[in-house]
Amino acid sequence: MIYFDNAATSVMKPVKVHRAVLEAMKNCGNPGRSGHKLSINAANAIINCREKLGKLFNVDDVETITFTQNATHALNIAINSIVSPGDRVLITGFEHNSVMRVLDHLGANIQFYGTDLFDKEATIRSLKEKLTPDTKCVIANHVSNVFGFIQPIYEISDICHEAGVPFIIDVSQSAGVMNIDQKRLDAAFLAMPGHKSLLGPQGTGVLISNYKTKPILYGGTGSVSELISMPDFLPDRLEAGTQNTPGIAGLSEGVDFILKKGTDRIFAHEMYLKRRLKEKVSEMPFIKAYFSDDENCQLGVISMNFEGMDCEEFAGRLSDGGVAVRAGLHCSPMAHKFAGTLGTGTVRVSLGVFNNENEVQRFAKFLTNMNLSVKDR
Amino acid sequence: MYNYLLTFRSLTYGQRAQRAVQSIGISTALMRTPKILSENGCGYCIKIKEKDLEPALAAMRKIHISPINTYVKNEDGSYEKVMA
Repeated sequence: MIYFDNAATSVMKPVKVHRAVLEAMKNCGNPGRSGHKLSINAANAIINCREKLGKLFNVDDVETITFTQNATHALNIAINSIVSPGDRVLITGFEHNSVMRVLDHLGANIQFYGTDLFDKEATIRSLKEKLTPDTKCVIANHVSNVFGFIQPIYEISDICHEAGVPFIIDVSQSAGVMNIDQKRLDAAFLAMPGHKSLLGPQGTGVLISNYKTKPILYGGTGSVSELISMPDFLPDRLEAGTQNTPGIAGLSEGVDFILKKGTDRIFAHEMYLKRRLKEKVSEMPFIKAYFSDDENCQLGVISMNFEGMDCEEFAGRLSDGGVAVRAGLHCSPMAHKFAGTLGTGTVRVSLGVFNNENEVQRFAKFLTNMNLSVKDR
Repeated sequence: MYNYLLTFRSLTYGQRAQRAVQSIGISTALMRTPKILSENGCGYCIKIKEKDLEPALAAMRKIHISPINTYVKNEDGSYEKVMA
């Protein structure tokens, strides 16, 4: 199979990830609850992962790095920590429902900036226009999960700092691929999954906090147990209940792989594959693909449609041919609305560190053959 | 002999302290804080030899971590809070 659904989750992982999960299941007790060897093993697996994540995202105080179930969980904590009903919140036009639905649930006053696909300057301009004194927070995904549009998060962060408005960044598609420097960003929160380009198992997510936090899950933490209120310190404040130690142990090895390989190399690899794909697909008039003219505006997440074919049928035919992609709206209806694809949806091809040029060529050949077979119908 | 106990408010702080101390070559052990010593219940501590106490505290200061309390273990097994 050619796996081009890395924006949903990575399936190909370093072998050490698999081994670490199994080892943790055999040798780890409950972290932070006891003093015996198996409990300490678990605690070590978790602090090791925190420290590696600290290195990857340039965070010294690793207790501000908390583990969650996924990016959605992390975003729920981040947004609930800042936003109250009626608050004015600025979000880009390319946010996932993991942002939209939380804001809707809270009854926030949602305003959009950055709605022009692949236009970073327009994002900056509209943010400056719409950032009012009563804006409670600004949210952006670093990379669109539908179009791979790379938002200018460092510039957005500077504007937010100048205005004194907290900035939440969803780095779901960029964590593990792009260099993300939290010291430079100084964002209120960075939220991400562990199971995509960080190469950990599903059921892992990460929240990096630089703002007063509000838990959404309450319970035992193995600390200050005489108090019935949640601890006022991280990570315990946001980590009630038993942690996913096997998942975190696996994530630790995924992050280790990234640290050793380097995000610069991983980014360059994905950009190279994207360029090769663009060259191939550009020769196919029956494919409408959403590529940025500006190379630096797009990561290896590409939406496309096959002329005259429903996106789900397109994805189904690819699946039958051994190519895994995702079709539909990708839980990001606003992104499709602003790009003009809400009515049709798209097929999303998302590249990963373990994909190679041969797979891109085979995919292109499959599209050509598919076009011939459709014509023959 | 390990005769000093440095208590921390959480496992993560205890682990960070332990790693800072170990990074300067001082042997230490992470353990649960004795119930009688844990303020508000449940916590972790590290055991340190008397001769290592000052350099250990200095290593912790470098990463902005300090123990909640420091105790010395008496010969009769009781603990006495000391000023670090």
